[in-house]
Amino acid sequence: MPAAPETFAPGMPVEIGRIDREFKKLWAQAGSEMTRASLINLAVYSEERDSLGKNTALVSEITENHACRAIVIAADPHAEESGVEAWISAHCHVSRAGSKQICSEQLSFLLKGKSVGFLPNIVFAQLDSDLPLNLWWQEEFSPPMDPQLWAWVDRVLYDSQQWSDFGAQMSLVETAQKEARQRVVLCDLNWVRLVHVRIALAQFFDHPITHHHLDELNEVEILHAPGYRSTALLLVGWLAAQLDWENAGTRDDSLGFKKRTSEGERAIKVSLGESAGEPIGNVTVRTETAEFKVNHKSDEDLLEVWFGRKGGRHMQQVLPAGKSDPVSLVEEELRRGGPHRVYLRAVEKVRAFL
Amino acid sequence: MKEKSQSNPLREGLSNKAVPQPCAVVIFGATGDLTHRKLVPALYNIAADGELPPAVAVVGFARRPKTDDEFRQEMEEATRKFSRQAVRDEIWKGFAETLYYHQSEFGDEAGYKKLAERLDKLDETSGTRGNRLFYFAASPEQFETIIENLQKAGLNKTREGSWARVILEKPFGTDLESARHLNKVVQSAFSENQTYRIDHFLGKETAQNILVLRFANAIFEPLWNADHIDHVQITAAETLGVENRAGYYEGAGALRDMVQNHLLQLLCLVAMEPPTDLGADGIRDEKVKVVRSLRPFQIDEVGSDVVRGQYAEGAIAGEQVVAYRAEKNVDPKSQTETFVALRVRIDNWRWADVPFYIRVGKRLPKSGTEISVHFKKAPQVLFNRESQALDQNVLVIRIQPDEGISLRMQAKVPGTSFRIESVKMDFHYGTSFGKASPEAYERLLLDAMSGDPTLFARRDEVEQAWKFIDTIEEAWTAKENAPKLATYPAGSWGPEEADELLARDGRAWRRL
Repeated sequence: MPAAPETFAPGMPVEIGRIDREFKKLWAQAGSEMTRASLINLAVYSEERDSLGKNTALVSEITENHACRAIVIAADPHAEESGVEAWISAHCHVSRAGSKQICSEQLSFLLKGKSVGFLPNIVFAQLDSDLPLNLWWQEEFSPPMDPQLWAWVDRVLYDSQQWSDFGAQMSLVETAQKEARQRVVLCDLNWVRLVHVRIALAQFFDHPITHHHLDELNEVEILHAPGYRSTALLLVGWLAAQLDWENAGTRDDSLGFKKRTSEGERAIKVSLGESAGEPIGNVTVRTETAEFKVNHKSDEDLLEVWFGRKGGRHMQQVLPAGKSDPVSLVEEELRRGGPHRVYLRAVEKVRAFL
Repeated sequence: MKEKSQSNPLREGLSNKAVPQPCAVVIFGATGDLTHRKLVPALYNIAADGELPPAVAVVGFARRPKTDDEFRQEMEEATRKFSRQAVRDEIWKGFAETLYYHQSEFGDEAGYKKLAERLDKLDETSGTRGNRLFYFAASPEQFETIIENLQKAGLNKTREGSWARVILEKPFGTDLESARHLNKVVQSAFSENQTYRIDHFLGKETAQNILVLRFANAIFEPLWNADHIDHVQITAAETLGVENRAGYYEGAGALRDMVQNHLLQLLCLVAMEPPTDLGADGIRDEKVKVVRSLRPFQIDEVGSDVVRGQYAEGAIAGEQVVAYRAEKNVDPKSQTETFVALRVRIDNWRWADVPFYIRVGKRLPKSGTEISVHFKKAPQVLFNRESQALDQNVLVIRIQPDEGISLRMQAKVPGTSFRIESVKMDFHYGTSFGKASPEAYERLLLDAMSGDPTLFARRDEVEQAWKFIDTIEEAWTAKENAPKLATYPAGSWGPEEADELLARDGRAWRRL
């Protein structure tokens, strides 16, 4: 499991109306060794107590590889008194290109009581113009979803692993996406968590000579950590979506899928098991004659992949596993981008089980 | 030799590029510098990034006797020294198991027969599926021998569903005749779509970004022509001297070493028309049209349009350095050029009357490769009166180091007067993107394993480039009226004649 995040102070307190001026002063003092850089706006929203410090620490790490203007918002909608407090700071890192320090700006806001309703205004007023807006929503979504805010967001990042009711939350997100005037890309960090396992599984079938196995798969076994059933289900959804499996309901302790072929229907048995360790600890897919395995050992950042004929020769390889902490997931998402159409198809396949 | 291209549905959304296929990579010249510094570290980095297919075997082929274990040990040391990312023991262990050494003379037919047997065995044990990638990292004189022996051993032939490809390092010939001969030899064994002529400049992130800059930004392409561009400069400067390459460099010189390949490739990317698609031949068809459109020099024009120079004694970074002729293994009367500057014309509608100035040199004050596109001046009205002539807008694409793009434009200096100064909008890859780019060789090796030849030179490109270069060499080696070899002090920006080349046109080299 990831270590508890370090906590940073959110910076210098400022009046909201003086943010630009204070930033100018900050840069004037910085001198020529520092360069401000920004490729995206990254807004982070949390209602967790003391989240400002924790999220400032996360943003500091993210800006090492993704220069951005960060807008970190801590909201306390249940506070009796309303009010807004603001801070500014900068995260500087030595660039790989030379001795200059590359700095990203961070604005932090604490919104209390009714002032939480000012969120869209605060985000809009502080954006670095013309750059895409990535909104990292660390809470569960609750209605009403502000259409004005969603219309401005290019990519919304959330982690469905933390949702208490996947169906209700996904429905809110999808409705908001439909109502937004521009296409918002849904970026589920729970889906990002699967990237390396998906790559490891996909590479088994890159060579045309192995493609026939995809039509012959009849068994999938996934071992996931407690609390990561939704992650495992998304992986199943991905296989089902990409390989044209149809839902055939649940049977005892397994999920059933079927694949229509020219010779009729073929059943695919999917079993999910729980075991402490990495979110997805082990995946095995089988045909009648071959077996493909991906194993992620606890606390290691490498995957062991294994494939071969049942009872015959097998081959092994190690591949990067990626990490499952929030910074690594957000970085992976920002690095990969893309419209995530496959994710939506995967969700559709397992919606009933989630 | 037929290659199947069915796609893997599980790859959708994970990668937008072709996926490398299982194969045996055979490196001819496995004990050489290129293998140690570039190839094996590049293969390791591909493995560490999880992009190497599970079934890959790397077979080093060279003369010196060595065991697999000794080769692995040597490669580990080299990779730890030259890899862009730190070597991780867990990954190296698995990667090292894919490394093999095959000892043979390049001209020993039996050695290739044994290689064929070994590769067949690796197909069984490593799952390389009969796919072969032959990398020629040996000296060019050996290419013909290697190809002949590969053919004799039947290694150019493949079974149904598998492939054989050959990667050839530069220099690809020394003139048109030798390039044609080499192409003929290569193509007696391998077809053009199996032949990958490497130009590592094309594997650089910024070289590839030229296409993105031009064709993914609507603001540049309408201005990218003779109506708006005054001239283009391409510079490849290095502070280094000939170092330990005198043996090769004495016979090549700057024109053959840099201009015929790297700089003409950059020129093509800048000058080409939009390709119909991003496929290998879509881009290469357009590049070859540019080389074909280069206005050939007449022998008697070479003296006025091409300047050659050689560095004399001087200083680099405050240190005294010797003249080229005093370098180790260099002929004291050497006529080899270490600097070339050319004025090139492209005879097509887009570039009519727009000169392209190219310069390359060793022992210059600063290292850097860049392309600068100099736009025409604003009309002499309003702010641009004679008393206050404005600078041109210049778009600079920095290839190395500090890769990036900058645009020079005019701005009003704050104050009550109307003073206008040039300002620079500057984009640095290193500042905006934290992650280091893969090395050019990583990209190119992956492309060759995936069967994507887009970033490799095609036969017609190479031959057309030599055709253009040969006239210059011919003029330089003529018995009568050969243009003189100018000298320049090490640490200067080349001979005065290079400055005059532009001054005659009312222009000057851009300060790097």
